[in-house]
Amino acid sequence: MSTVEATPAAAPKVWTTLPALYRLVLRSQLTLARILGIGALGALTVLLGVFAGQDADPAQAMRVVLTFALSVVVPLATLWFGTSALGDLVEDRLLVYLWLKPVPRWQLPAVAVAATTTLVIPLTAVPAGVAALVAGTNEIALEAFLAAALAGFAYAGVFVAAGLWFRRAAWWGLAFVVLWENAAAYTAGGLTRFTVVGWSGAILDSAPGSPSEVSAGSAGAGLVVLVAVAVAGSVVATIRYRRGELD
Amino acid sequence: MSDEPRVVAEGVSKWFGALVAVSDVSFDVGPGVTALLGPNGAGKSTMFRMLCGLAKPSKGTVRVLGRDPRADLAVTRSIGLVPQQESVFERLSARQFVSLTAKLHGLREPAENAERALETVGLDPADPRPLPTFSKGMRQRVKVAQAMVHDPSVLVLDEPLTGLDPRQRADLVELFTRLGSEGKCVIVSSHVLAEVERIGSRVLVMSRGRLAAAGDFRELRALMDDRPMRVRVRTDRPHALAGALLEQRAVVAVRLDGDDVLELDTADARALAHTIAPVARERDAHLYEVRPLDADLEGVFRYVVER
Repeated sequence: MSTVEATPAAAPKVWTTLPALYRLVLRSQLTLARILGIGALGALTVLLGVFAGQDADPAQAMRVVLTFALSVVVPLATLWFGTSALGDLVEDRLLVYLWLKPVPRWQLPAVAVAATTTLVIPLTAVPAGVAALVAGTNEIALEAFLAAALAGFAYAGVFVAAGLWFRRAAWWGLAFVVLWENAAAYTAGGLTRFTVVGWSGAILDSAPGSPSEVSAGSAGAGLVVLVAVAVAGSVVATIRYRRGELD
Repeated sequence: MSDEPRVVAEGVSKWFGALVAVSDVSFDVGPGVTALLGPNGAGKSTMFRMLCGLAKPSKGTVRVLGRDPRADLAVTRSIGLVPQQESVFERLSARQFVSLTAKLHGLREPAENAERALETVGLDPADPRPLPTFSKGMRQRVKVAQAMVHDPSVLVLDEPLTGLDPRQRADLVELFTRLGSEGKCVIVSSHVLAEVERIGSRVLVMSRGRLAAAGDFRELRALMDDRPMRVRVRTDRPHALAGALLEQRAVVAVRLDGDDVLELDTADARALAHTIAPVARERDAHLYEVRPLDADLEGVFRYVVER
């Protein structure tokens, strides 16, 4: 056995560490079960779009389909990917291999949010836009896509942070989706502005015919709020990652 | 090579609620190989977690190269850790895993450094198999490779020989010894006494969260050999053998257990080991079993702590 003689190390560059961490998190999130499960939800959205196109009032039918997409498909898909992004590393006691590195602490939560969004957009936001197209409601397809994509981004921040903070993050997240993002958002009007679904609805509502069931404000404000939620989630996850103790 | 301490723990305690895992431990470690010895649950892994900044001491301070490993990101470039857990990234090959570590440490040629590190621990860098398909011993060597790929000056190895066969153990012990002689600060934990005997000349002994002893391993070994010990002997002539051993002052007390078992108390286990066979031969007694009753680590540590 010869002794390792490493090339002298400089401080790691962000353009080296970010892609390396991103690939690692993305790869660990990509399991067949998740792809099939979330893919099925996305396919169901497109199928519902086909049925909506055959309805007597396709625009009205698409309201229901997009409510399903924004209230159920996007949050559940992001919950599944987001809580596992760092939560799996904690559970498998693998975080130690990333923590003891000269890499600024914000990078791992940030790439976890990015990787989760990367997976959620093609599997949920694209089907939402495609559903609008196949229903013949082309005029709302872009807004449907944008609303779902930004909602996925915001939920990614929330659920990545939850994955680090809570042991059973998926269950906490499920309770959050059911009780807050659905029950509270749709029944207690004043609470809509404190929900992701309310602000993604605001973006969807900017399309012709105001096709959203809920809206918390203007589309511009929705854009700002949803990005802010994603960033805030990433910051909260960073605080936890920095202060937490590792096994 | 400077002999200044690389790792310093001062009055370090760690508790989890009412459970005290580490209690008021102080030591410093310089270049060379130091073994942290203690039975399971002694607080070794908790101590290692604090040395690497993975956990914050409830009380006291830890410094690595004069810096706080929990607060100072830069010092992590000088630390390599082999954690105790067996888990590794499931989707990565050995080369991808070690290369990732090299990248995160900012090495300019991560793939080449990863190859070198894997070759150093006797693994094939071209092996494309994902890590879960590796044997436990191979995974253990991958963990050692990732700990040393960036050539750290402080290596913290938590039970690194677990799961290795004798040949692999010998190779890694030789590697650790060489790294120590090159001026690296290598801290190796183990709960296997014989393992430590081969690894390090300097030992820190932890028991029940406390530092029970520190110093040269030979001194500790002598201390352990000299302690009073109880030995179980099974023979076909117990009375004759007991009488002869008492006559020779090789034992201080004898208890007969059943028809053929003796329990001998001796103040000098080494002398008894040399005496018992010739005495048995003289008295025409067959020895079917000679077994120390308290030679396990717990017994050793109990003695070290209580003496």
